[in-house]
This record gives sequence, structure tokens and C-alpha cells, in this order.
Amino acid sequence: MLQRINATLQSILEWFLIFLMIGLTIVVIVAVLFRLFGNSLSWYDEVAAIQLSWITYYGAALAALKRRHIGFDSVLLGLPRPARRIGLIVAELIVFSFFILMAWAGMTVLEVLEGEYLVSLTWVPIQFTQSVIPIGACLFILCQALSLPFYWKMTMRGVSLEHAEIEEEVESEMKKAGQA
Amino acid sequence: MLMVGIFLALVAMICLNVPIAVALAVAGVIGLLATEGTDSLVTVALDMYDGSTKFSLIAIPMFVLAGAIMNAGGVTDRLINFVSALIGFVRGGLAMVNIGVSLFFAEISGSAVADVAALGSILIPQMKKRGYSGPFSAAVTSSSASLAIIIPPSIPMILYATSANTSVEQLFVAGFVPGLMGAMGLMFVAYLFARKYNLPVEEAFNTRRLGQTFLDALPAFSLPVIILGGIFGGFVTATEAAGLAVIAAFLVGLWYRQMDLKHLKRAMLDGGMQTAVVMLLVAASVLMGGFLTRAQMPQQLAEWLLDITSNKWLILLILNFFFLVIGFFLHSAAAIILVVPIVIPLIQAAGIDPVHFGLVVTLNLAIGQQTPPVASVLITSCAVARANIWDVSKVNIWFVLVLLTVLLMCTYIPSIPLFLVEYFYR
Repeated sequence: MLQRINATLQSILEWFLIFLMIGLTIVVIVAVLFRLFGNSLSWYDEVAAIQLSWITYYGAALAALKRRHIGFDSVLLGLPRPARRIGLIVAELIVFSFFILMAWAGMTVLEVLEGEYLVSLTWVPIQFTQSVIPIGACLFILCQALSLPFYWKMTMRGVSLEHAEIEEEVESEMKKAGQA
Repeated sequence: MLMVGIFLALVAMICLNVPIAVALAVAGVIGLLATEGTDSLVTVALDMYDGSTKFSLIAIPMFVLAGAIMNAGGVTDRLINFVSALIGFVRGGLAMVNIGVSLFFAEISGSAVADVAALGSILIPQMKKRGYSGPFSAAVTSSSASLAIIIPPSIPMILYATSANTSVEQLFVAGFVPGLMGAMGLMFVAYLFARKYNLPVEEAFNTRRLGQTFLDALPAFSLPVIILGGIFGGFVTATEAAGLAVIAAFLVGLWYRQMDLKHLKRAMLDGGMQTAVVMLLVAASVLMGGFLTRAQMPQQLAEWLLDITSNKWLILLILNFFFLVIGFFLHSAAAIILVVPIVIPLIQAAGIDPVHFGLVVTLNLAIGQQTPPVASVLITSCAVARANIWDVSKVNIWFVLVLLTVLLMCTYIPSIPLFLVEYFYR
């Protein structure tokens, strides 16, 4: 059941992230070509920056689901199991607390921003562009929670997720090289 | 006192494997609470949003994407063939090929781990088959891949330029000569090893074969031409070069007919996720940065250190040591985002060129990637070579010494990294 939810959420986030990446790529390329032909786009800076922000938070949620955020696990993995357990719980509580705070602050800001529009595209409400903060925070919480059982199991076994990820990458490349 | 408490909290969180971005943000929130009270908590959302919209960082997803598309598009084999035809006749030819191809891969390096896995999985098994030891093969791969971060395009350099408010284009230009020097140094050490262990040459030099492999690899060379030519020539900014690089990478993939939708999907995802991971760090650093600015911490650090010495060479030595140690424990992106904003006022007060310092920082972090505990490039190379990390490190010491020599030369002879910058920009 948990695996199915994970897979579905992962798939949704992956496709949305791909959509955002394609969008940003198109905007950057179109803007570069326009600029090189001497006709700069007025909305480029503002729109591209917003796209980057959306990639940041939707991508960060996906990275949380796969536990790919940059961390330092050597100390935690070096602790004896009971201390490791407590350390892990404290760390997860810190992460959840921060994103709950961010979701709350994001919602508060959205209320204040009602009726405001972008500078270059005056028909786009800022509430829409900044919705990424509360939504991104909630998604992060969900993804962190869904990936917790796997992270718990690996950490209790003393396995570094970074090393596991490297092994996985190496294995897939070795397979590819072997096929070539 | 508050500053010490926040610093200890940050270290404690990092030790508990809280993602560094979150640890940084939480430390910023503690600072905010202590100095501004609970009413200010709403600014968490504003800072986290502003931090993720830094326009100059749009170059990151574009370069990462271009690199990922190139990785998936069949460039590796052709590059290996070309470099092999070019320098494979030297004793220890495969080691030379490894270093030479890594230099090119630097051009398209988004994720060092993915690049090392892609390149190493082809070259390391070949090297082992030809009598190279596993640890030597892994050490060559790891050190040359780390050198790649000072050759444009480099994501740590983009992050540094944003953190230090300096020109990313100038920093790219500054990395070029030290990168080549480092590569030649690594090749020299590899050659000495090859002589000592009587490692084989690959093939006699053949102009016709060189020409053939060059033509085959020619489309792949469009990328450095666009990036280096465009930036050096002043036609495009780093972000624009990154956008054009994506088009070039895509066209190269189509040309080689190895770009299938599955590869492209993975390239997009890798690019998006790596960007998100780095950008979350950047966003979190805005929260922390706000607190540091209010507390005047960077200025206090500058005053304190300048009271001890105002000799900029000594300050550079201290900072070199500091960044080298930081690089042992933190990934380069995290190290830059955490530390650079704090030391920049010191750099300015000491009269050190921020572009020069940027190169010194990235080189330090490149060397830091060669030493456990945080050494993803080294660990990846070891995994491919199925070699023990300590055995690899024993060989790798010699290659690290080359990188350290380049670092010291770049630190104390600023004209090495800066003469091209002076020529093109000043």
C-alpha cells in the first residue's frame, strides 16, 4: 500500500518536474534567441525566476521522497543503535517542524498578497506564483513522511543512503557499458 | 553568545543528518526569533521564496540539463575514441585518456557522481583488463573528475559568484588555465606510475585514425565552443550560454541517434532534482544570511582577523586551510553557500580579488572531495573499480599533491588564474 502511494506520488512529481524543466528551457532559449537578434523580452527575468522557484520546491519534494538532499550521515551512522534511533527521531522532528512553519508562513503571506499582480505580466496574480511556498512545504512534509520507513530501516542497519545511491548509479552505468 | 549557540545548533543538526538546507534554515529561524521575536516568523516564507528566485542561478538547471542530455546521448564513447587516438600512444595511455576525457566532461559536468559513473564504468574495466591496478584506475578517475569543477561550466563557481556578488563569466575564464595546468600535472604523475609499473601503450599514433575519431566526436565539441567561445568572446552571459548548451546537447544526441525518450526523461529528472537540492540550500541561506547581516557577524570576523594580520597572503593561507578542512566534511555546494557570504567582507577588506578567491575556494573544495568522510567522487570511483577506499587513497595522495601544488600556485601567483581575465575583461 505504502509502496503504491510512494510510486504514484513519485510519478506525479516526476512528470510535473519534467514539465517545469521543459518550460524553463523553452523560456531561456526563446529569450536568448530574441536577445541575440536584438529584441529582449520584457517578461523573461521575472518569469524565469518564478519557474526556477517552482523547480526548487517541487523538485525538493521529489528529492525528499528519494532522500537525496545533501546531508552528512557519518556521525549519525557511527552512533550506537539506541542513540542513532533518538538522533533520527530528533532530526525528523526538526525537518517536519520547519516545513510546518514554512507552510503556515506561506499561507499568511498569500493572504497579504491578495490583489497583487506580477510587474511584467499584469494578469498573473502573485498569489498564484507564491503558492509554491505553502504547497511546496506541505508536499515536502508528505514526501519526508512517506520515505521515512525506508530511511529508518537503512539507518538502523547502518547503511548510508548516499553510498546506496552511488552503488545504484554505478550498477546502472556498468550495465549500460556492458550492453554497449 | 547567541552566535556561538546558533553555530553549535547548526553543527549538531548537520551531525544528526538533518538535510543541510533545512539545518541552515532552522539556524536562521532561531536567529530571527532571538533578534526580532515571533512576529517576524512570517518572513520565513518571503526569504525562502526570494532565495529561490535568484535569476543568475538559472544557469544551473540549464548546464545540468545540457550535461545530463550529453551523458545520455552517446558522447562518452566517441570522446574516449578521440582522446585515445590523440594521446593513447603514451605509456599508460588509458590513464591519459581518462584524464583527457575528464577534462572534456568538465564541460558538461552537472553531477560529478553521474559523470564519474558514466566515464568510469567504461574506462576503469578497460584499464583493469590492460593490467592497471584497481586502486590506480580509481585514483586517476577520481582526481581528474574533481579537477573538473574548476573548468567551466562549473556549478560551484556559479554558486560562488552569486554568493560573493561577482562575475561568473570572469570566474569561468579564471578556471581555464589552472584546469589545464592541473590536467598536465595529473598526466605527468600518471606517466611516472606507468613507467614504474610498465603499463602499456594503447596504439601507435595514426593521423588518419585521429582525423576519423575527431570527425566522429566533432558534434560533441560544439558544447565547449558555445560555452567557452560565447563567454570568452563576450557574446553571451553564462545563463545564455547554458541555454544554448541545452540546444547543442539535444542536437548532438539526435545526431548520434542515441537519444531515446527514456534517456531524455531521466536527464530532465536528474537535472531538475539536482537543481532543486542546490537551490533549496541557496534559499535557506537567505534566511541565515539575514540574521548574519543583522548581527554584523561577517564584519566582526573580518575585523577580528585583520587585527591579527593584515597580510593578505597570510589571510589567504588561513582561508586555504579553512576551506580545505571544510571540504573534507561538506559537499562543495553546501560549503560555498554556508561559508562564502561570511568571509567575503574579509576578502574585500584585505584587498583580495574576489574572482581570484573564487578560484582558490573551488580548488580547495575539489581537493576536499578526494578525502573521506564526504568524498562522493572518490567513493563512486572506488565502487566502479571495486577497490578499497584506503588502497585508492594511498595512490591518490600523489594526484592530490598535484592538485595542492596547483592550488598553492594559483593562490600565490594570482596572475595564473587572472591573466586571461585581465585580457578579456579588464
